[in-house]
Amino acid sequence: MINVNILEQHYGSTKVLKNINLQFSNGQVYGIVGENGAGKTTLFRCIAGLEDFEGVVTSEFSPLKNHLGLLQTEPFFFSKITGEEYIRLLCNGRDIVIKDIAERNIFDLPLHQYASTYSTGMKKKLALTAILLQENKYYILDEPFNGIDIQSNILLTEIIHVLKSLNKVVIVSSHIFSTLSDTCDEIHLLRKGEQIKSVQRDAFKELEAEMKSFTIGNKIEKLGLT
Amino acid sequence: MKVYFLLQYTLTNRKLRDLGINPIIGYLLGAIGFVVVSEYIFYRTEFATYIVMLVAFGFLANASEARRSDFLKIVFGAQKSREIRMVENAGMCIPFSLLLIFHNAYIESTLLLTGSILLAWGSFKNKFTYSMPTPFYNRPFEFAAGFRNTFYLIISAYGLTAIAVSVDNFNLGIFALLVIFLISLTYYVKPEYEYYVWVNSKTPSAFIFDKLKTAGIYAAFLVIPIVVALVLLYSQNSHIILICSLLGFAFLSMIILAKYSVYPQEMNFPEGVLIAVCILFPPLLLAVIPFFYTKAIKKLNLLLE
Repeated sequence: MINVNILEQHYGSTKVLKNINLQFSNGQVYGIVGENGAGKTTLFRCIAGLEDFEGVVTSEFSPLKNHLGLLQTEPFFFSKITGEEYIRLLCNGRDIVIKDIAERNIFDLPLHQYASTYSTGMKKKLALTAILLQENKYYILDEPFNGIDIQSNILLTEIIHVLKSLNKVVIVSSHIFSTLSDTCDEIHLLRKGEQIKSVQRDAFKELEAEMKSFTIGNKIEKLGLT
Repeated sequence: MKVYFLLQYTLTNRKLRDLGINPIIGYLLGAIGFVVVSEYIFYRTEFATYIVMLVAFGFLANASEARRSDFLKIVFGAQKSREIRMVENAGMCIPFSLLLIFHNAYIESTLLLTGSILLAWGSFKNKFTYSMPTPFYNRPFEFAAGFRNTFYLIISAYGLTAIAVSVDNFNLGIFALLVIFLISLTYYVKPEYEYYVWVNSKTPSAFIFDKLKTAGIYAAFLVIPIVVALVLLYSQNSHIILICSLLGFAFLSMIILAKYSVYPQEMNFPEGVLIAVCILFPPLLLAVIPFFYTKAIKKLNLLLE
């Protein structure tokens, strides 16, 4: 379980997160949606302890960061380190010894190649594999479906279902609504750093319709396409 | 084209200012450094011409990297991007060419300048997927990546040791030992991306201890062949070998602590001064190491606690 209470974040005089209150329960999958710049990644970084913030984040396993698998939107890989070494490095960070990496390489990644030579999708799959092998209690997956192929998309959806059945907390952000409706129990909508609404699974369709109408509005006409 | 070069000029100035150096002073220091280092190379070795050409082509290869060339082509089009690269490559090579002319290496100078211009028609794509195995498999980070970047220097240091043994020159052997430590230090100069620190479930002190332990073991692994060779052949100088090795480990520890003392920023002028003072007067390490350690713990607390 993770509790986020009255979380606020400023960059200078700009408030990027305003009064965020969220509760994430075990065995549930949560979606965070919002336009670019809505504050999703900042919220994730605050929960992970990568940024200072005002407010309180608590969890049953403390410190939260030691039990959190964070998949970043654009995982960073330094040069001259292989895929296998990256996994080993992240597992070393949690004092976990992995002996059967090759067997657990379910995305069939070329683990002996330098990670920096991987394609965008392969990098994401490598980063995901590493945090899954860390045996975390909580997962934050920032746009995990971006850039990966359709087969891996299917696999990832299944992985999220399995994490749910293992009683983990999973928080996912995505710009593809269907990926969230397939996996989430609840979706939180952020807009300009504010928590606009939280929607349960049975109301996902209405949320999608509302987002569509809000987003599109009369913008297409404004383009003046001929 | 003018916009591109103005942008490059602005970017360079920005980088210098970020390092705390006034751009004018930076350019001046760069020019002086170039002259001093190159003159030293010409003074020390008869192969200086080739070293200069190798370094210049190294810069050119870096500027001719495929993704960079593709980017220029997309933004400026084929013809204009080629012109930009010709001017850029030639500009990069002019100091080296002038240096070669100054040392009467007219043919090499012409070759360098012509080659630099011709390179504007090509680019280097890294399609090589082979990854070099390293002995640093268990804790793959600084040493694994660093070893792959500097393996030729390490081999050269072992070569120097072999020469030292064959010509019975103990000092050259000690120099090779220090070179290995110097190479190891470079693995820890740049701060890593914050995620790689954050991902550790260790307290700051345990994290630092782990870093020092790994660096110590892996550096020992690299220096052992040299130490063994020197001890076997110059056992009467064992105390010198021991002192140099201990100093090597102490400086390695200091660099690691200095890096984390300003983390996530890069080491800057104040750290550089302290390191330089320690090089001039090594007993100061006894005070500087604890100083950097205390600062490092404070910085790491922000990410690890």
